[in-house]
Amino acid sequence: MASPTPAVIDPLIAGRTVHSADRSPLTGVLGEPLADIGQAPRLLAVSALRELRERADGLPPGAEIFRRAADLFTDATLDGESPEEYARRVTLGTGLTATTVRLSAAELAAEMRDLTGIARAELPGTDFGPGHRTRWVPRGRLFAAVLASNHPTPSSSWLQALFHGYSVLVRPGSRDPFTPRRLIAALIEAGLPPHRVAFLPSAHAVGEFLLKEADRGIVYGGDRAVASWQDNETVAARGPGRAKALVDVEPDDAVLDHLAESAAFDGGTRCTNLSAVFTSRPVGEVADLLAHRLSALPVLPASDPKASLLVLERSRAEQLERQLAALRETLTDHTGRFDLHDALVRLDDGSFLPRPLVLSADRADHPALGTELPFPFVVVAPWREEDGIAPLRRSLVLNLLTSRRDLIDRAVLEPSIRKITTGTALPWTTPHGIPHDGNYTQFLLEPKGIVGDSRH
Amino acid sequence: MTSDFDSRVRKSVAWHFDPDTGSPFWLGKRSGLGFDPVRDVQTAADLARFPDVSEELRTVPVPDLIPRGLRDKPFRVFESGGTTGAPKRIIDSEVRGRMLEWARDQLMDLGVPAGGHWLHLGPGGPHVVGSDVARHAAMGGGVFHTVDFDPRWVKRLVGSGRGDLADEYIEHLLDQAETIMRSQDISVLNTTPPVLEAICARPDLYDLLRSGIEAVLWGGMSADQETIRLLDEEFFPQATVAGVYGNSLMGVAPQRAAQPGDTHRCVFQPYPETTLVQLVGEDGHEVAYGERGRVLLHLVTEEMFLPNVLERDTAIRVEPAPGSATDGLADIRTFRSLGQGEIIEGVY
Repeated sequence: MASPTPAVIDPLIAGRTVHSADRSPLTGVLGEPLADIGQAPRLLAVSALRELRERADGLPPGAEIFRRAADLFTDATLDGESPEEYARRVTLGTGLTATTVRLSAAELAAEMRDLTGIARAELPGTDFGPGHRTRWVPRGRLFAAVLASNHPTPSSSWLQALFHGYSVLVRPGSRDPFTPRRLIAALIEAGLPPHRVAFLPSAHAVGEFLLKEADRGIVYGGDRAVASWQDNETVAARGPGRAKALVDVEPDDAVLDHLAESAAFDGGTRCTNLSAVFTSRPVGEVADLLAHRLSALPVLPASDPKASLLVLERSRAEQLERQLAALRETLTDHTGRFDLHDALVRLDDGSFLPRPLVLSADRADHPALGTELPFPFVVVAPWREEDGIAPLRRSLVLNLLTSRRDLIDRAVLEPSIRKITTGTALPWTTPHGIPHDGNYTQFLLEPKGIVGDSRH
Repeated sequence: MTSDFDSRVRKSVAWHFDPDTGSPFWLGKRSGLGFDPVRDVQTAADLARFPDVSEELRTVPVPDLIPRGLRDKPFRVFESGGTTGAPKRIIDSEVRGRMLEWARDQLMDLGVPAGGHWLHLGPGGPHVVGSDVARHAAMGGGVFHTVDFDPRWVKRLVGSGRGDLADEYIEHLLDQAETIMRSQDISVLNTTPPVLEAICARPDLYDLLRSGIEAVLWGGMSADQETIRLLDEEFFPQATVAGVYGNSLMGVAPQRAAQPGDTHRCVFQPYPETTLVQLVGEDGHEVAYGERGRVLLHLVTEEMFLPNVLERDTAIRVEPAPGSATDGLADIRTFRSLGQGEIIEGVY
């Protein structure tokens, strides 16, 4: 399935392609050259910021453009790229399975068709009686998005900013420049004024510069990428999710199926995938049961429709191998007994597949808890009543399988726990208005009072 | 053409290893060399026999560097940036002035105005560049404006993860530059790529500069190819934009006039009278034209003799311009795997 000619990708500013003299090759997970990417140096970012800011007026482009763009994104050939070619490129660039890429494209398109609904669900009413109302307006003019390549769906963050009237600068993840590029092509084709958007493949430092200069922004990435933005009011930092579960019930089949799906949905690549389980039950038993369930996931190349696990190219696989070896030094491996495969399987197509891995720790404050890896990876640790919510802090999602009401209440009040699920509910299937990590629409918009009769 | 340099090598070796004219630094090394420099070193190629003594420039007492034959001349001492550790010291009396005269001609060929007033937003103090730029301005009868600029402080901030403070320091420098620009008529700006980027990101200062400036000179750090293009075409289209590569040890290598067939927008050329730059591969041999090699410097003057200095930079080797015997250097980049700890490039 390798393509003979790599995609040529370049910065795009206000509809203008800038053929950069600085090129950076992207190697796909099969070890093949996948794209030749023109890099935007900082000065090009300066140029893009100036150009977009000059014409940024804060007017929302209109929902119809996003609905049309959604159709084009899923169905049309854009810049010579068919939907199939797009999916193939993302799969080869990121190692995400073909199924994940197809589903995430559909998910992005569905969100684009319903941006009005998302906004309505996240904003309180604006009518305060005759002559008194509020309007939700953008908190600035320019929005910067610094993306990672773990999954295509985070692009919905900058789509929302664009929808509400921001002009947007996107620094794509280095392994998936394809998704934002295609979304932008679809939007412009659908009628978005080109000066509302810039696409800037670049070094992370250029992304940092964009975040500093823009009025609002979002950054996705590992701890190091997001650390400096953690307490910044104008930048939403989306680091490792560190989703946790507390298993304070009997680990029956229903619970174990639920935990396995929490860990393995979308190949474990989402920030909301489970990465730590705390339990009041025997740790080794729970870990064994979970390891047994996850070991059933098949070894398949990412292009196989039945594949569910991410693959990597050689260099990242080797890096991961070293990281796992270090983790095994202080944790107990439960997967080895159940999984017939090596921890890192070399596939015939040349890619490497990390197998699901369950490890256990001997204490609730073990430093390995909070490790987040891009495949089903779970550390199981003991939890006792006197530990309280301390080990459960710093979680994007906390799944509470417990009947202790007081514990649930305390978790809800804990600021570093961003979302609570109880029982066997999954965090990624929620109606509009259920915050993922705070109210994102209100991060983008602020209410402005409008007082007076409507005659003048 | 190399024979010119060969004869300079012979003359220089004879001078530096004569007990009446040589420096205590080199005279003290003669017996430990394992060869007789005066007899055995006849050509530029023979310079490879010398050890790289540049590390010793970090600690040697400066008077030991002054050749006895020149002890009546006034000397100044300058220090390298300190990017790779403690700074190295060099001495200069007259040689650098001759090189700057030559560099001035090179820059004027590119369109840098002969006269006019200069603004230097770069290091001064112990760093030779500040003195160089002041002399450039004086040679054209212009006034030299500058601000206090401590690159080692910036490097310390960047190296310790305090990039925000480094940014603030740059803004402090730019505030002062803006004050100068508001009342003074500046024709030539000399600075570094990161400072230029910061200038371009500040609309008021940028507009002031863009409307009045005739030449923008950049140096001290590498700039990628797209950045050079943007400076030239987009940010300062009405001005001459020229790079000057160099450091304390090698001197300056200004951008040379573009030649037909150049694949790089900016090709640097060192001062042929005193400086031989070779680009070498891992085997120590010179790389072919169009290939990237690490900078190996030989400085041969009556004031300083520095053969075989392996620098932290790499560059693409470019054929000499017609009428010249000096190789060009393009697309300078820092040699990353240098063993002496992480190289921190700040703003200079």
